[in-house]
Amino acid sequence: MVDHTVRAYDDELMEIGRKISEMGGIAETMLTNAIDALVKGDTELAQRVIATDPKLDALEREIEEKAVLTIARRQPMAIDLRALVSAIRIASDIERIGDLAKNVGKRVVAMDGQFAPQKIVGGVVHISDLALERLHRVLGAYAQRDLNAALDVWQHDEEIDQLYNSLFRELLTYMMEDPRNIGFCTHLLFSAKNIERIGDHATNIAETIHYLVKGEAITADRPRVSGAYEPLSLG
Amino acid sequence: MNEKISIRDLKFFYGNALALKGINIPLYANKVTAFIGPSGCGKSTLLRVLNRMYDLYPNQHAEGQVLFDGRNILDPSVDLNLLRARIGMVFQKPTPFPMTIYDNIAFGLKLYETLSKSELDGRVEDALKRAALWTEVKDKLNANGLSLSGGQQQRLCIARTVAIKPEVILFDEPCSALDPISTAKIEELIDELKHDYTIAIVTHNMQQAARVSEHTAFMYLGELVEFDETSKIFTAPRDSRTQDYITGRFG
Repeated sequence: MVDHTVRAYDDELMEIGRKISEMGGIAETMLTNAIDALVKGDTELAQRVIATDPKLDALEREIEEKAVLTIARRQPMAIDLRALVSAIRIASDIERIGDLAKNVGKRVVAMDGQFAPQKIVGGVVHISDLALERLHRVLGAYAQRDLNAALDVWQHDEEIDQLYNSLFRELLTYMMEDPRNIGFCTHLLFSAKNIERIGDHATNIAETIHYLVKGEAITADRPRVSGAYEPLSLG
Repeated sequence: MNEKISIRDLKFFYGNALALKGINIPLYANKVTAFIGPSGCGKSTLLRVLNRMYDLYPNQHAEGQVLFDGRNILDPSVDLNLLRARIGMVFQKPTPFPMTIYDNIAFGLKLYETLSKSELDGRVEDALKRAALWTEVKDKLNANGLSLSGGQQQRLCIARTVAIKPEVILFDEPCSALDPISTAKIEELIDELKHDYTIAIVTHNMQQAARVSEHTAFMYLGELVEFDETSKIFTAPRDSRTQDYITGRFG
């Protein structure tokens, strides 16, 4: 795209874009580390994930302030206006993703030393891999303003939901089998739920990219799995 | 939506120079249509065609059609005085007559109508009220119109236009010489006036176009690049030239 006549305007928009990338990178690392900590029972790593969260909060505030300032200063129109509104929305989604990764970290700390069969942890890891991959792709789509890549993420949200549902049933079985499993199963279930919601935020970001590129909200319905087991809402 | 004015394949010439290259735009009744575009794009020319201001200059002429309630106003048989009474115009710089505030409005009225003193008083008051100027000048109607502030002068000109009860009002950058408060008053006024009139406004202030109009036309080099609902033009225009212009990426 052609540059603005006022160069400082381009600089402001680029600065905001850079900050979003920075937030995305931090959020990805937080989720990766949280899952690592879960698999290895590494409380220290989990603590580090928790300690990273304020950095994301600060970045989100910074992006919001910069965007508001740019709106006040430049009265942006069309693509610029959409870019700023999108930046505010996406920053908020990434901040939430950070919170959810932090929650997983907190679960690891709370589980401290409890037995969790690797097979079940493996299920959480699998969901998490999917969520991470979607997050990574949607952040890339944002950086490239790539509508097709964003739509691809948007259309495949149900994979995570399906995985979550089957994991939910598996954990229920464990809990029914032996009440002593209830403790760690609950922690794992909450962790999985947090990760599933990270997937939802990736979907939100994909929707925002659609608005950013096309100038309108997605109107089509997202593909839904018919007859899917809708679990109780567990945080 | 009812088209008060339909501009059809309008071409305009300054001598041999083609300034409008076949424009098609509707002006909807009781709506505000904004014209934006860089200097020299033809937007003011277009406005001047709508009440045939160009007739004052012998080497300028228009081709095509401008249908006003179905009648082509480019037709030589059109009575220009009556046309300009029905299509009023407010200019960039306030142009009050060097006479009293009262006479600034009464002058035009007396040209078109025969009114008793009390009728005239009523019409002057009504026009000043419609232009949101009445409370500021009601105690000094005999003061010179030029003694008012710039913003008040502009509202006096609007009152003068409104007094003869036109159907369409053309605004040619009405706020470019005004401070933000006067500008806000004019914009508020335009919002009121559209209930009774069809309005076209040329403005270099894009935010103003976004605020006051329902439809916006972006013109460039004598062509209409894009015409759409204002909300669409300023959030997601279709043409990349529109986008470049309104986002400040032009040239």
